[in-house]
Amino acid sequence: MSQVSRIGMLRRLACAIGVSAALVASAGCGLEVGAVYPGMGYSDYPPDEYIATTEPVYFDGRATYWYGGRWNYRDGGRWNHYDREPPGLYQRRMQSPPVRRTYEARGGRAVAAPHRR
Amino acid sequence: MKGNPNRQIGICATVLFGACAIVGCGGVSANSPPATTAARASDVDDVSAGLMEHHRHHHHGGVTLIIALSLDTLGVSPEQRTAVEKIRSDLHARMEPARAAEQELVTMLADGLAAGNLDAASADAAVAQVAAAAAKVHDASADALNELHAVLTPPERAALVDKVEAHWAVWQTANSEETDARNPARGKLAMLATDLGLTPDQVDRIRARLGEGMKTVPRLDLQEISTHLRAFGDAFRRDKFDARMLTTANGANAHLASWGAAHLAHFIEAVSPVLTPDQRARFAQRLREHAAHAPSDGGNP
Repeated sequence: MSQVSRIGMLRRLACAIGVSAALVASAGCGLEVGAVYPGMGYSDYPPDEYIATTEPVYFDGRATYWYGGRWNYRDGGRWNHYDREPPGLYQRRMQSPPVRRTYEARGGRAVAAPHRR
Repeated sequence: MKGNPNRQIGICATVLFGACAIVGCGGVSANSPPATTAARASDVDDVSAGLMEHHRHHHHGGVTLIIALSLDTLGVSPEQRTAVEKIRSDLHARMEPARAAEQELVTMLADGLAAGNLDAASADAAVAQVAAAAAKVHDASADALNELHAVLTPPERAALVDKVEAHWAVWQTANSEETDARNPARGKLAMLATDLGLTPDQVDRIRARLGEGMKTVPRLDLQEISTHLRAFGDAFRRDKFDARMLTTANGANAHLASWGAAHLAHFIEAVSPVLTPDQRARFAQRLREHAAHAPSDGGNP
């Protein structure tokens, strides 16, 4: 194979890789529900005391709770979660942390004001 | 190396575009460290302990109090917030006679404890006052609950029901040892032992007294409360809701509030003779703090 042929083949290969990568990446960005969550999450769903003291974020027609490094929501009689973070919830999470309400400090003294974590 | 410059530029542009697309998409996947992190277990424990403490000491409105507490963190839109806040305030106002009755009972118990002269007959009368006031809470709150249903969207109604059920689950955990006849007041006693530095002998004597004293406290029918909560949840999720149709509400509220009041009175009567004057004074102060704590404070619907 001549040097000119090899250069031509490398060019075509580079072009094919570039176009393929662009197509895959673009399609992926457009079709995925959301991004991979940062960090590792817990495997548990939010406990009752978390639901009782934390403001949800309403998204996609339901209340969602950021807990265990992922977004959780009620699905009928059980809990479910988004496998990938929807962009709308990602933006919401970046804007403000979950608001939690502390009712009484340890020892019984009242702490009335809600706070953000 | 020679070639068509335009073609080379095109190839480079294609490769660069592909690379940028990958990097761009990957940038979303690998988000920068979030401003908020997942709630740590220790955070949940702190807040949970506070909520459990709250549910151990405040029972006056029964299930209506649980509904009002659920509004604290409902997270409604800014446009709804004023209306929901007003409804929350209305609910607490309708519960005020029951709250005042509970406060009067707790203050009376604190005074008697500190002075070492508890009056059982007066305490029983105060418990009856709490029960009577709680029995009227639902009827007084029905219009506010109907207004709440009208203001909320279907997802918010469902979220409220989730929160009510969550509060009830926490309430049961907080009071589980107290509602278990085989294990009376063990949870509250354990906390008291820590708070007041009770000796093992004091704990044993109190435990023996509680075994007898708690027999006079009417048993709380948890199933009755759960049945009412299910009825409320099913009704509140629907498009049309009328709180006046909830026939189980008055009984559930009265039983929950009166159990809490009677349990506290008998608990204090059982432990008082075993405590030292200093321990009684400190316990009385703790009770006064709970009595002065208004659940309507704060919140952010």
